Amino acid sequence: MSDIEDYRAGAAAWCESMAPAFGKAARAGLGVEEDLALARRYQKAKFDAGFAGINWPTDLGGQGLGHIEKITFEAEEMKHGFPNVYFGISLGMPVPVLMQFGSDRAFVKERVLKALQGEEIWCQLFSEPSGGTDLAGLRTRAETDGNGWKINGQKVWTSWAQYSDYGVIVVRTDPTVAKHKGLTYFWVDMKAPGVTVRPIKLAGGDSHVNEVFFDDVKISDDHRMSPVGGGFAVALATLMIERYVATDSAGFGPHLDLFVELAKDVTLNGRPAIEDGRIRQQIARNYAMRAGLDSINRRARLMMQAGMTPGPEGSLNKLIAVRSRQKLSELALDLQGTDAFLFDEHLSPKDDWASSWINAPTGRIAGGSDETLLNTIAERILGLPQDHRPDKGVPFNQIPA
Amino acid sequence: MTILYGEDQQAIATESRRVLHARVSKDDLLPLLEVTGKFHEGFWTTAKEQGWTALALPEEYGGLALGLVEMGLIAHQVGRSLGGAPFLTSSFGAAKAIELYGSGEQKARWLPGLASGETIGAVAFASGPDPLPARPAVAFADGHLNGQASAVSGGLAADVAIVLADRAGTPTLAIVDLAGVPRTAIGSFDNSRLLADLTFAATAAETLVDGEAARDAALHILALQAVVTAHEQTGGAEALMEIARDYALTRRAFGQPIGAFQSIKHRIAELYGLVELARANCIHAAASEGEAGFIAAAAAARLSATEAYDTASRDCVQIHGGIGVTWEIGLHLHMRRARSLALEQGSSFFWEDVLVDRLAGETA
Repeated sequence: MSDIEDYRAGAAAWCESMAPAFGKAARAGLGVEEDLALARRYQKAKFDAGFAGINWPTDLGGQGLGHIEKITFEAEEMKHGFPNVYFGISLGMPVPVLMQFGSDRAFVKERVLKALQGEEIWCQLFSEPSGGTDLAGLRTRAETDGNGWKINGQKVWTSWAQYSDYGVIVVRTDPTVAKHKGLTYFWVDMKAPGVTVRPIKLAGGDSHVNEVFFDDVKISDDHRMSPVGGGFAVALATLMIERYVATDSAGFGPHLDLFVELAKDVTLNGRPAIEDGRIRQQIARNYAMRAGLDSINRRARLMMQAGMTPGPEGSLNKLIAVRSRQKLSELALDLQGTDAFLFDEHLSPKDDWASSWINAPTGRIAGGSDETLLNTIAERILGLPQDHRPDKGVPFNQIPA
Repeated sequence: MTILYGEDQQAIATESRRVLHARVSKDDLLPLLEVTGKFHEGFWTTAKEQGWTALALPEEYGGLALGLVEMGLIAHQVGRSLGGAPFLTSSFGAAKAIELYGSGEQKARWLPGLASGETIGAVAFASGPDPLPARPAVAFADGHLNGQASAVSGGLAADVAIVLADRAGTPTLAIVDLAGVPRTAIGSFDNSRLLADLTFAATAAETLVDGEAARDAALHILALQAVVTAHEQTGGAEALMEIARDYALTRRAFGQPIGAFQSIKHRIAELYGLVELARANCIHAAASEGEAGFIAAAAAARLSATEAYDTASRDCVQIHGGIGVTWEIGLHLHMRRARSLALEQGSSFFWEDVLVDRLAGETA
C-alpha cells in the first residue's frame, strides 16, 4: 500500500469512528445554533486527531503535509455529512491569507490555533451591493484617522458573518486612481463598534449569508495586510489559495444512483420510468458527464502525487457539475409528479432532490458565476481576449455610475 | 492501469502528431469526398510504416504488444488530422476478435497480415439502426454465409471480415475471407470511409464464437472499437476547438477580435469543457480494458466524445460565419467525419442503453 493509501485508510477509519457523534444522523433535527455547537466540538476533535490544517505549517499548528493529504481527507470526510460547513470559508481563505500576510506573528499564531480548533470563525468581506464579479469596483472606503483607519460602507453575501469573530476585508483607500490600484486589504474585528451584521434569508430558507454594514469602524494600522493601494494583489492571492479542494462531480447535489433508484421506483405511462427512453438518456448523459469529471479529478490527484501540477481542466468541475445538478434535480421532481410537492427545508441538498433544486442557483453564482468561469476558461486557458471594459485605466471617481 | 500517460506514451502522441501533420492535408482529403473507392494512400502507408497497425497485437504475430491506451493516443492524432481511411479501427476490431476468440490456426493465418497492415480487416455487425441486431441479416449454416452485410466501414478494401450472423435463431460470430465476395460501394457523405454492402452467397466462413456468448463477444469487440473511435472523435473535436479559437483571435468585427464577444468566447469555452470531459472518459476507458467496468467506461467515452465532436463541428462552422460553409476551407471534412464516426460503432442511442442497462443492474 502506498503512503497515500495508508493515509486514506487512517482518515477513513477516523471519520467512521466520528460518524455516530457528528455525522448526518447526529445532526438530524438540530437548529442552527445547536448544529454550530456540535460543529465546534467536531472541529476540535478533528484538530486533536491531526486532521485540521493538514497542509499548513507545523509552527502554526498545522500538520505540514501536502495538498494530496488534504484532499484525501476531505474526500473521506465528505461521505459522512459532518458539520464542517461553518469553517469552510474561514479555514479556506481568510485564515490562510492571515498566515501569509499577517504582520504580527504572535497574533497570527494565536488566531490560527483558535480557528483550527473551532473556537473562532473568520469571514471574507469582498462582495458589495454594487458588484460581486467586478471585485475591484468595490465602494466601501477606508480613510486615514489619526494613526489608523476609519471604514464606512457595506458588504454583502458574507458567509457566516453572523458567527464570525474576525473578517478580512478589501476597501478603497484612494478613489482618484484606477480601480485596481486604490484598494487596501485589512483584517477587522467583527465585534468592533460600528459593525452591523444582518442575515439574508435565501430562497431555500436558510440564512448563512449576510449584509455587513461599517459605520465609522476604527482600526489601527497594524490591521493592514497589504501595502496601501496593494490590496487587489492580496485579494487575488486569497482566491488562488483554494485551488486544491476536494471536488464533487454531483455538484454537491444527490448522487446519480439516487436518480436511478427513483427511476426504478416510479412509473411513467404505466411502465417503470427506468424503461422510458427520455429518462434513460438523461441518466446516460449525466453519467458520462460525471464520469468525465471524476476521471479529471482522479488524474489531478495522481499528478499531485507524482509531484506534477494538475492541468487547468480541474476548473471545469463547478461549472459543469452544478449546472447539470440543477437540471437533474428538476427532472427528479418531474418524475415524482405531485408527490414532489412535500418539502422539508432542513433536508440536505446531497440527499433530497427538492432541496438540491431550490439551492442549486446559489451554487451557480457563489464563488464565480457560470459566466465568470466561462470567461476565465476562455481568457486564461484558451488565450481569448478580455471583454470590452470601458472603465479600464479610468480613475475610480471618474467612472460613470 | 494508471490514467497518467508515461513518457513512452507521450512520445507516441508527439511523434504521431508530427508525422500526420506533415503527411495529411485537407487538400489531399477534399477530392476524396467526390469519388467512391478511394482513400488517402499516404495516410495508410504511414500507419503501416509507423507500426500503428501492429500496435495492440501480440508479439508472436508481429505485433508490438501495446494496448488500448496506445491505440487511443494514435487515434486521437488521427482524429486531429482527419486521417484518410477507416482501417486502423476496423482492422484493430477484426484482429482483436481473432486474437480473443480465434483458434491458433486462425490467428496464424490472419494476424501477421493485419499486424503489418498488408491485410485489411472489417467488422460487420450492424443492421441499419441496430449495431448488434438480435436477428442479423446474414445467415450462417453449414460453414457458409448467405445474405447482405450493409454499410460496412472499410468494406470496399477489406480482405477479411468478422460478421455477426444468424444461425437458426442464435447469434454466431463468424470470420470470412472476403476474396471474391461481391461488394457494392455506398456513395456517402464521407467517401474515404470506403463503405460497402457485402453480399454473401454460400461464402465459406468459420465460427469464432457460437450461441449467446457471440453477442457478448460482439459487444466487447464493439466496445474496444468504440474506445478507439472515441479517441479519434476527441482529437477531431480538439482540433476544431483550436481552429475556432485561432479564428476568433484573428477575425475582427466592430473594431475588436470576435473572440472578445462573450457569445463567441463562451461558445469556445464550452467546447473546451466537452473536449476535456471526452478526453478524461477516453483515458479512463482505455485504462480499464479487462476490468469489470470496461463496457460502462467505453459507453461513457463514446457518448461524451460523440457529443464533443458533433458540437464542435456545429459551433466551429458557426463561429466562422460564411467562410465556414465553403468547400475550400474544409470544415465540412470534420462535420462529415463527426457524423460518420458517430454512426460507426453504434449510435449514441445504443450506447445510452448499454450504459443504463448496467447502471440499473439489468444487464441484458
